[in-house]
Amino acid sequence: MAIAVKLDDLLHDRRMTLTELAERVDITLANLSILKTGKARAIRFSTLEAICEALTCQPGDLLRFTPAQARKRKGVA
Amino acid sequence: MSRPVSSSAALPIAHVVLRILIVLNWLGGVAILALLVVSPNAQWIMAAFKLSPSPDTDRLIMGMRAVAVLGLAAIPLHYIVLKRLLAIVETVRAGDPFVAENADRLQAIAWTLLALNALSIVIGAIAKAVSTPAHPLRLDAGFSINGWLAVLLTFLLARVFAEGTHMRDDLEGTV
Repeated sequence: MAIAVKLDDLLHDRRMTLTELAERVDITLANLSILKTGKARAIRFSTLEAICEALTCQPGDLLRFTPAQARKRKGVA
Repeated sequence: MSRPVSSSAALPIAHVVLRILIVLNWLGGVAILALLVVSPNAQWIMAAFKLSPSPDTDRLIMGMRAVAVLGLAAIPLHYIVLKRLLAIVETVRAGDPFVAENADRLQAIAWTLLALNALSIVIGAIAKAVSTPAHPLRLDAGFSINGWLAVLLTFLLARVFAEGTHMRDDLEGTV
């Protein structure tokens, strides 16, 4: 996936655990874990909003686009 | 992701009915096979149906044999439909019907229903060809608008299931 989720970095910066975040945003730990490990295929705006509010960050702080990965996925050299 | 299993009685009833129909289908196959075994004995058939010897009678007996052969061919086709329906019912009972296998099963059912409807037209045509005013061969076969509508609906349902499965897969990866 060319979109990387920087949830780990944000949690580390804010000294917060995934379990604490799950309680604050009312999303299951399993789903947050899927998001953190980059296994999610899509993210709802409501989820993004809740995480940004809990971590006081912008969506751009949470997600990063990696062009090299995107090219690799499309098979472009 | 499995949802709670429905408490409706329709599913257990469908399960039992389908199992009974599978057995009845095989019994029907055995009956047709027995008819085919005894049908070379024209005298027996003529006596059973009170027919008098004539070229029309020979044609009628030939027609009945052809219908029996086609009827026998329909037995495995019925089995394909019933067995796949049973598998679909099982997935509904398990609370997970939107799987790719069910779309494939419905597609197979649709093609089989198409074959059965075509077979019915052939059987109806044979019955009409060999019938005489003295000895009419009346069979519940031939073109049926409802049958072809069922084919169309099953093809559509297979597509709906394929799309539903795809949508569910997308939803499962959504956080």
